[in-house]
Amino acid sequence: MKTIEWQYLIVSYLFLGGLSAGLFFVSALTEVFRNGDSPKEEIARVGALLAPWPVMIGCTLLVFDLGHWYRFYKLFLHFRWESPMSIGSWLLLFFIGVSVLYAYGWIPSSVRKAIFAKLPTRLRFLQILNRDVSSWRRALAIAGLPMSVGVAIYTGVLLGAVQSRPFWNTNLVAQLFLFSALSGGCALLILVLGASSRKFEMHEFQSLYLLDVSFLTLEFFIVVPYFIHGELSVEAVRQSLRLVLGGPFTILFWVFFMGLGLLLPWAIEVYEALPLLLRHAQFVPRVDTATVAAPGAAVSILADTGEQAPSRKLHFSRGWAAAAAVLVLMGGVLVRYIFVFAGQMSTIQ
Amino acid sequence: MTNRPKRYALAIDAKKCIDCKACVVACRAENGVPLGKSRNWINEELRGDWPRLMEVFEPEQCHHCEEPACVRVCPTGASYKRSDGVVAINPSECVGCRYCMIACPYDARFFREDLGVVEKCDLCARRLDRGELPACVETCPSKVRIFGDLNDPTSEIHQILEKRQYRVKKREAGTGPNIYYLL
Amino acid sequence: MNRRGFLKLATGGAVGATLLQAEACRKPLRQQNVAKDTSARVEIPTTCDMCVNKCSLIAVVQGGVVKKLNPNPENPKSRGMLCARGNAGIQQLYDPARIKHPMIRTGERGEGKWKVVSWDEALDFTAQKLSAVREKYGPQGTLWSSSESFQEQFFRNLGQAFGSPNSVRHPTLCLASVNLAYSLTFGTVPTFDVQNARYIIMSGANRLESFITPDTMDLVDSTTDRRARLVYLDPRFTKTAAKADEWYPIRPGTDLAFILAMLNVIIGENRYDKEFVSTYCSGFEQLAEHVKQYTPDWAAAETQISSRDILRIAREFSDAAPRAIYYAGRRSSWYRDDFSMRRGQAILNAIVGNWDRQGGMVPNAKVELGELMFLPWDDPTAARVDELDKNFPLAAKGDGVYLRLRENVIAGQPYPVKGWMVYKQDPVSGIPDQEKTLQMLRQMDFVGVIDIQMSDTAWYADVILPESTYLERLDPLEMLGGIRPVVLYRQPVIKPLYDTKPLLEIVQGLAKRLNLSQYFDYTMEQWIGEQVKALPMDLPLEYMKKHGVYSPPQFPKYGTTLIPDHRFVTKSGKIELFSQRLQEAGYDPLPVYHAPTQVPPGQFRLVLGRHAFFTHASTTNYPWLNSFLPENTLWIHPRPADSLGIKDSDRVEVASGSGSIRIKARVTPKIRPDCVFMQHGFGKRSPWLRLANSGGSDAQLLETAWDKVSGGAAMHETFVKVRKA
Repeated sequence: MKTIEWQYLIVSYLFLGGLSAGLFFVSALTEVFRNGDSPKEEIARVGALLAPWPVMIGCTLLVFDLGHWYRFYKLFLHFRWESPMSIGSWLLLFFIGVSVLYAYGWIPSSVRKAIFAKLPTRLRFLQILNRDVSSWRRALAIAGLPMSVGVAIYTGVLLGAVQSRPFWNTNLVAQLFLFSALSGGCALLILVLGASSRKFEMHEFQSLYLLDVSFLTLEFFIVVPYFIHGELSVEAVRQSLRLVLGGPFTILFWVFFMGLGLLLPWAIEVYEALPLLLRHAQFVPRVDTATVAAPGAAVSILADTGEQAPSRKLHFSRGWAAAAAVLVLMGGVLVRYIFVFAGQMSTIQ
Repeated sequence: MTNRPKRYALAIDAKKCIDCKACVVACRAENGVPLGKSRNWINEELRGDWPRLMEVFEPEQCHHCEEPACVRVCPTGASYKRSDGVVAINPSECVGCRYCMIACPYDARFFREDLGVVEKCDLCARRLDRGELPACVETCPSKVRIFGDLNDPTSEIHQILEKRQYRVKKREAGTGPNIYYLL
Repeated sequence: MNRRGFLKLATGGAVGATLLQAEACRKPLRQQNVAKDTSARVEIPTTCDMCVNKCSLIAVVQGGVVKKLNPNPENPKSRGMLCARGNAGIQQLYDPARIKHPMIRTGERGEGKWKVVSWDEALDFTAQKLSAVREKYGPQGTLWSSSESFQEQFFRNLGQAFGSPNSVRHPTLCLASVNLAYSLTFGTVPTFDVQNARYIIMSGANRLESFITPDTMDLVDSTTDRRARLVYLDPRFTKTAAKADEWYPIRPGTDLAFILAMLNVIIGENRYDKEFVSTYCSGFEQLAEHVKQYTPDWAAAETQISSRDILRIAREFSDAAPRAIYYAGRRSSWYRDDFSMRRGQAILNAIVGNWDRQGGMVPNAKVELGELMFLPWDDPTAARVDELDKNFPLAAKGDGVYLRLRENVIAGQPYPVKGWMVYKQDPVSGIPDQEKTLQMLRQMDFVGVIDIQMSDTAWYADVILPESTYLERLDPLEMLGGIRPVVLYRQPVIKPLYDTKPLLEIVQGLAKRLNLSQYFDYTMEQWIGEQVKALPMDLPLEYMKKHGVYSPPQFPKYGTTLIPDHRFVTKSGKIELFSQRLQEAGYDPLPVYHAPTQVPPGQFRLVLGRHAFFTHASTTNYPWLNSFLPENTLWIHPRPADSLGIKDSDRVEVASGSGSIRIKARVTPKIRPDCVFMQHGFGKRSPWLRLANSGGSDAQLLETAWDKVSGGAAMHETFVKVRKA
């Protein structure tokens, strides 16, 4: 009796879990390599504050998908290292803990004090939490980085470890979900930051765009071998690929995920970021010994030489950003939807 | 062979199966399986064109694998393999995540919405404890099923598997199934 | 503890308590399914009644609830198995649609308005109505129709004691022609030793599917272990066809041609058992002369089986003799000429000398049982209403000819029949030509039904007297003759759940009110007490209670009749290849082939058959069984389906001379292009049988036709038009 047991709740959780992992990863990475660069602080802050929520919502959905939701605590009475779900549960527990604490460390002092000032007298005992943990940020970021990678990867391991579903049974699924999660994190940050009223310059988003393009590229180069190797593999795997090569998920996969969810946002982001990349890639400027270079002087030297700067302006285009971000996020949902459903439909004949 | 004290297994002579459904009803009666779900089933395959037709029937249920994928992925240990080889579910530990259902190469498990847990063939463990055969084995009119302890060299199943050729289903899944289909 | 600490504890406690309570809510549901019943578990042997095979079973009862029915390995006839229906006996017992109290109709017949009454009132009513009919029309004005059970004899005895000659039973719809053919040939109906046969030919008799008997199991064993070769003729690719060595989709109604050609070859090539024929048979010369005309080439044209195959099979069959059998089958209610075909079979079996030999046909051995002496009544004086002597002089008197009887009763000839008692039978569902059955029913002044469920016939009755089911009843011992005869015991495994009675008590209740008590003044215990006296063990009753079945060890015995001067129960004392009795009665003494009616162009022949998980029309409402086929379908071959624009699962309208139905189509290559098939037992009218209301009723389509000699219903003589609905 074949039934599709894991459906929309699981797809949502996989997406939301990955999203939190991605948000945390980008935030933590940015924080660790920041060196005082202030636009990057904004990225790290927003990332940190957003990171705990998607995964907590996802886990709530997950708990209610259980046959006995109130038995979820039993998952924490055991640790079974052979069960990806067991490992994942513990990972989630620690990750949520770290990401909440990390987020807490990014709440500005004034805001924190104001909230606690408004506490009703009965809840005064919560004042114990009114502490400044901002000094812990870096440590938490470092501690949480491998956890976030773990959370993103294990959603793929959950599927990839199932030998009876040939559509899933490849180590590439974990990588695919990892990079999809990380790029999703970038995309959400681009979306949220871009939506704020502040005026931005492109170079403030440079790292985000670069990261996202890298992740999308890696994603692409995981999907390609997934198909090449799949087609060269055993009959069961080849059969399962029919689901996306002519089968019911074909259009969804190639047009909506690959096309609109991966390649198009990649193209948009490359187009947006290219001038900046080129600008930075400009070579050794002709040095006027009189105006010896100071850090950050490259731009002005170029300008001084009178060389034609690329005609495109370097202001941040919200429209393109939003488009690319939404497409990436949509792609993230789609790829998980396709994998969860198609995987359960595939079987060893 | 394994180092478990017993290795309960089933040998099925599908040639003898006439799809009479006695095993399905006996299992339902014995184990209170609700309609719409089944712990065991008969696979049917019609081949050929009129008038050269051929039909085969093949009973199936949980294969009580040596290395069950369902046991491996269970996050709470609710699914476990007994010392006699039976793969069983402890319903009070099951949280209903259904990972095991997805991991099973044979789709042998099903979800009980009314109980919130997963269920499957357990070789009528209660009957085994009383020294009886599983209901499906006992009731079969054409004696399709041979049940016994594979570790016991005097058992019927051990001897028949020494004498006759057999195959297992979905060997590639690598779980080591314990239902042997006699050829 | 301060307030903070208390709050923490309270919150923690509240959360914990919620979780525990949520867990506890599940308990009642779980307990339903996980039997934590600690009351004593008892195992009680008894006999199944879900079909006519009567397997032995052991009921597991715990806390007054029947939990499971397990096979009883001590019965050689059931070979330690219990089929799907047997296992579903629990659903018969706990069927919510069971009739729980006697009921008397208050509205019109078929309206479904009933009032629950006491047994006294119901029996008073029934007796009074029967008496009224007797007053006006004589006792012959009542019809007593029943199907077999261990207690059926009490019902029939009541009818006779009442003075009515009009009993009609199930064989007239089932095995009348085959029984008569073999009886006239051998003097008795033998059992086929399938277990030891080496070559088996079957015309239909879909033994691997239609129901599960020892022959089923032996056939599976023999064919899969390659001990026997099975040649199977059937217009349908059934499960037996799937396991047979050779399957031929023979043109329906031409099996006799096949048999006559085989006789032609076997006699023509001197392949018959000469010694056997000369010692035990009479009429060989006439037979030899008669079959000369039936050559394999001729038969090939009739049957659509190649003459090469017919030749080969005939030769292989005779080579394998005496372990070669042409299986007689059971339900032989096929064609108007069915009797001749069965006669042909019997003759073929006879001349290869398989009689009373291992792997052949064996006359039934018996176990003698004691008999309680009761007061005999005067035999009914009136002649039967179906005028058997005139119309079917050779038909079994006690069984009657249902279709002829119905015609006469509707016409009111030769005399009116206005009262009808029905026991364990559902004529409205079971007899062909439903409109006529309903017409007969409507003409009745009184219809009384004794049954366990609200069958279609009960739905139209005036009074329903509910019988207890087999799991609630003590029945007389039943002896099943055969190669290994057995004596079966049926004892109640629980007390009756509802206000129902075993048949004997119902009969006694009626007898008291009809002044016939003197013929029924014994208890079931007394009856059984007499029966067991003939059994060989000390304390036979205790033995039967403990084991449920007795199988004498001295069987099987072969060759008990193969002694010189053995007198067969025929006119000549020999096996009659040429039948004098047939000749005297004005029938063909040797089987003469008549081609079946051609299927009119654009129409189909409707053929019937059975599944292993339904018993006729009585079990289609049990959910465990119904789940395998919630709705019957019309099987139709892809070629004609295509030309009619019918796709699988389309609804189609099927019409015959008797009526029309709507049913779902099943397009399958498993049936001849000129035939259609549907499963019996669906399209029921009784709303109490909700699950069986689906699909269509074959009774509405089948036309009235009967076998010329035995009067048995001919259920494959109906042609239907099919079109997309």
